Amino acid sequence: MKCDVVVIGSGISGLTAAALLAKSGRSVVIVERTSRPGGALKRFVRQGVPFDVGFHYTGCLGEGDVLTTLWDYLGVRAIIPIRPFPPDGHDELSIAGYDQPVRAFFSYRRLRDELERRFPGERIAIADYLGKIAAICQKIPFYNLELPLTPFLRGFQEPPVSLCDYLTKLTADPQLQAVLASPAFLYGIPVARASLAVHAMVAHGFYRGAYTIDGGGQAVVDAFLRILEQAGVTIIGKNRVDEILVEGGVAAGVRTDRGQIIHCRDVIYTGHPSAVPAMVPAGIFRPIYLKRIQGLRNTASMFAVFAVAPDETPGEPDWVNHYHIPAGLAILPETARVPRTERVLMMTTPERGRLPNLKNNHRGIILLRPALWEEIERFAPTGRRSRPPAYLAWKEELAGEMIAAAGRYWGESYAALRPLAVGTPLTFRDELAAPEGAAYGAQHCLGQHNPGARTRLPGFWLGGQSTLMTGVVGAALAGLVSAGEILGLESTWEQVRQCR
Amino acid sequence: MMSNDELRRRVVATLAEELELDPEALTPEATLYDDLGLDSLDAVDMVVALEKSFGMKFNDEESLKAVRTVNDLFELLIKLKESQTADEA
Ligand SMILES: Cc1cc2nc3c(=O)[nH]c(=O)nc-3n(C[C@H](O)[C@H](O)[C@H](O)COP(=O)(O)OP(=O)(O)OC[C@H]3O[C@@H](n4cnc5c(N)ncnc54)[C@H](O)[C@@H]3O)c2cc1C
Repeated sequence: MKCDVVVIGSGISGLTAAALLAKSGRSVVIVERTSRPGGALKRFVRQGVPFDVGFHYTGCLGEGDVLTTLWDYLGVRAIIPIRPFPPDGHDELSIAGYDQPVRAFFSYRRLRDELERRFPGERIAIADYLGKIAAICQKIPFYNLELPLTPFLRGFQEPPVSLCDYLTKLTADPQLQAVLASPAFLYGIPVARASLAVHAMVAHGFYRGAYTIDGGGQAVVDAFLRILEQAGVTIIGKNRVDEILVEGGVAAGVRTDRGQIIHCRDVIYTGHPSAVPAMVPAGIFRPIYLKRIQGLRNTASMFAVFAVAPDETPGEPDWVNHYHIPAGLAILPETARVPRTERVLMMTTPERGRLPNLKNNHRGIILLRPALWEEIERFAPTGRRSRPPAYLAWKEELAGEMIAAAGRYWGESYAALRPLAVGTPLTFRDELAAPEGAAYGAQHCLGQHNPGARTRLPGFWLGGQSTLMTGVVGAALAGLVSAGEILGLESTWEQVRQCR
Repeated sequence: MMSNDELRRRVVATLAEELELDPEALTPEATLYDDLGLDSLDAVDMVVALEKSFGMKFNDEESLKAVRTVNDLFELLIKLKESQTADEA
């Protein structure tokens, strides 16, 4: 088999890169390890109830925003049912030890008003924080589409500011600290290692407006599959790329675990970079680079409970994500020594904006709590079909713990949730090819240099959430950058931004 | 405090080991890009290796960009060493 570009991985990063390349006339083959394309965006269904895994809400889908613009350019926006949260949509943050929850609105103005009302003595801190977040993002091309891309990607980055130092100096109020640090849940890095700039990139997205999609992440995947099919892109499932073929010092194709060989001129790999050393012939990369990408520190994993309410009445569509968070800067645990019951618990639902299907009155409820690889390592050698009874019992205990907490935090009725599926770091490792079950790939944190799209092997490029930035937006942009490296970075960016 | 000669020896040893360069080729006049074959993609790894070896931070973009030869790198590190030791004192 032959094509111009092989894209490894069919998550949002791979789908985006493939769509951009195909639009520019390249012949593209996507190779995906699992049987269904979509990566973390795929939905799964249990007893007729659909659940999302890696997409609950996102920023950047407003008019003129980067994801909307990119989706317009690719022609998928018209077939993706985007729903903005209503004006009073918010994350409800209950802070351990305090009575009244704080509403983290998806609007700078409303958020500022709420924070000033709740923390009247902290007006200066609140203004400083919101002003800094907005100012940082004003200099980032993905938030300020006037800017060129190349200086941002290639330029020397200023030494990062520690989020922890910044917030500690900003305010001593443990409740306000907790609120301002809470977006770290969406990129999976403990505050002690987070940088203000990465925090800003994620937080700003949500402070400017949040969105969901009817049909969840699957609707995005389906829309991409439609345009990819029209563009003649082939998707080969159930094939894991194990080897990058190199001829005359340049990338020449890939070989899969099933012995498929595809010849091509360029390869984009969107999985976790730590797998690269084993895929590329020895002697191509410097050992120091291989050591760096193999040793990348990973983001937190998650315990996830996918449940339904026990009674048959359809619940109200719910526009609020509920978080129960520890006070201070402890939104993400640094070690497994932090008891599970003291960690953040998030509750969300895939059903929003419209009542669930009347034939099926069950509304899916998803509970998420950060997990660390160390606490599951003892079961690491087991595969999806060979988990020991001890693991299954432990999983049941975990689910019980999280459901009981939901009952305590958000009302009796949640204590009766019926779990239909439970995810642990092992589940994410095996389903998403995520080392250590990392929810958001490698950390974009202080003291760590994530690899960029370019590598020393001509024709071999990296995409995916571990390169540029995490989350659906970050991974989509990483896909844009990897395709842009092949097509011409600035000209691709220019074409995309013309769709504003 | 480390002498300048020691510092130069350590730069050569670090680059030779971490970036697999021939120590003989690491003469003061050698240019990083043309003579040693380092490219912009190696810059991150070079900076990380030197920062780790010396426990110092390269915090000035302009001076780093101006580095062309091994000797420029020596000079930059000597300046950094002096300023960062002064900060501590
Ligand atoms: C529980 C959870 C909740 C989340 N919630 C949100 C949210 O609400 N909002 C948000 O913006 N983000 C969220 N995220 C993060 C978001 O889902 C990810 O950042 C994003 O989807 C990553 O996209 P990707 O394309 O980089 O990787 P993936 O979606 O992981 O895709 C990579 C694909 O590559 C395949 N692959 C890997 N190696 C190979 C190989 N060698 N050969 C062939 N195929 C290979 C994998 O099977 C996979 O399909 C969440 C993540 C998790 C886990």
